Amino acid sequence: MRAGVLFCPVCGAVQGPGSMDHFARLGLAVGFDVDVEALERPYFALQRQLHPDRFAGKSPKEKALSQQQATMLNEAYETLKDPLKRGVYLLELLGRGVDLTACGTINDPELLMEQMEKREALAEATTGAEIARLLAEADSESVACQCHLSAAFLAGDLAQAAHLVNRLKFLTKLVEDARARKNRIRMMG
Amino acid sequence: MSYSDKVVDHYENPRNVGSFQKDEKNVGTGLVGAPACGDVMKLQIKVSAEGIIEDAKFKTFGCGSAIASSSLVTEWIKGKTLDEAAEIKNSQIACELALPPVKIHCSVLAEDAIKAAIADYRKNQNQ
Repeated sequence: MRAGVLFCPVCGAVQGPGSMDHFARLGLAVGFDVDVEALERPYFALQRQLHPDRFAGKSPKEKALSQQQATMLNEAYETLKDPLKRGVYLLELLGRGVDLTACGTINDPELLMEQMEKREALAEATTGAEIARLLAEADSESVACQCHLSAAFLAGDLAQAAHLVNRLKFLTKLVEDARARKNRIRMMG
Repeated sequence: MSYSDKVVDHYENPRNVGSFQKDEKNVGTGLVGAPACGDVMKLQIKVSAEGIIEDAKFKTFGCGSAIASSSLVTEWIKGKTLDEAAEIKNSQIACELALPPVKIHCSVLAEDAIKAAIADYRKNQNQ
């Protein structure tokens, strides 16, 4: 697949960003499984083509368009690079958005109980080794969740995918929390 | 974004942090989580025979606003009846703490936590 068209094939002038999805912009197939290299290659290539230096002598309109293109390109890259953001975006693209800005609580007692226990265990952990163990555990759960998420998307089970995206959100927070605790302990150490 | 003085106060000196035994019959536990930020909040109430909330405790893993919101409501609900506590609205919490719009969901979470704790207490009583 070809990455988004940046320039007019006839006159070579930079084009507006248009309304293509993030996958199309980077020339990737729509799906949860994104290879980092397959994502970075087109991203850096397109970024070079849109570098401001290349537009130094161009008209204000072309400068503005190239900046719009660069902004959309960065947004596409940042979204697809991060598994959580990618999952949220893909659900939205497939017509089953999960509203992460929604107010109020999620209705998943099992997930909440599990996450509360893990956050409490982390808060009560006092040694570096204990925190490292909890961090490793959280990390591997996050990876497992991403595997399940990939399977759910491949199977077209969007209800399950939505559930797993929610879970990944909480696991990501747990990992961040564990990492922050580990760094704090290291600094005090 | 800067936190209001009241948020900072509750964040630095949280009131009523801790837990009650979950399986005590006069305890209700509300467990809630925000989809927006992955925060988790636990709010527990201890209810007297007369139906008054005698004591409340919370544990929140989240941002300063979420901690302040839950800390504040544990102070507010003490001494109230269950029905009075259930009437607390997120807008009152947000107003008291001067929460900015992006943090309103923290106050909604605290309101949901009160309601969940009351529902859990009532469920325990009917068992």
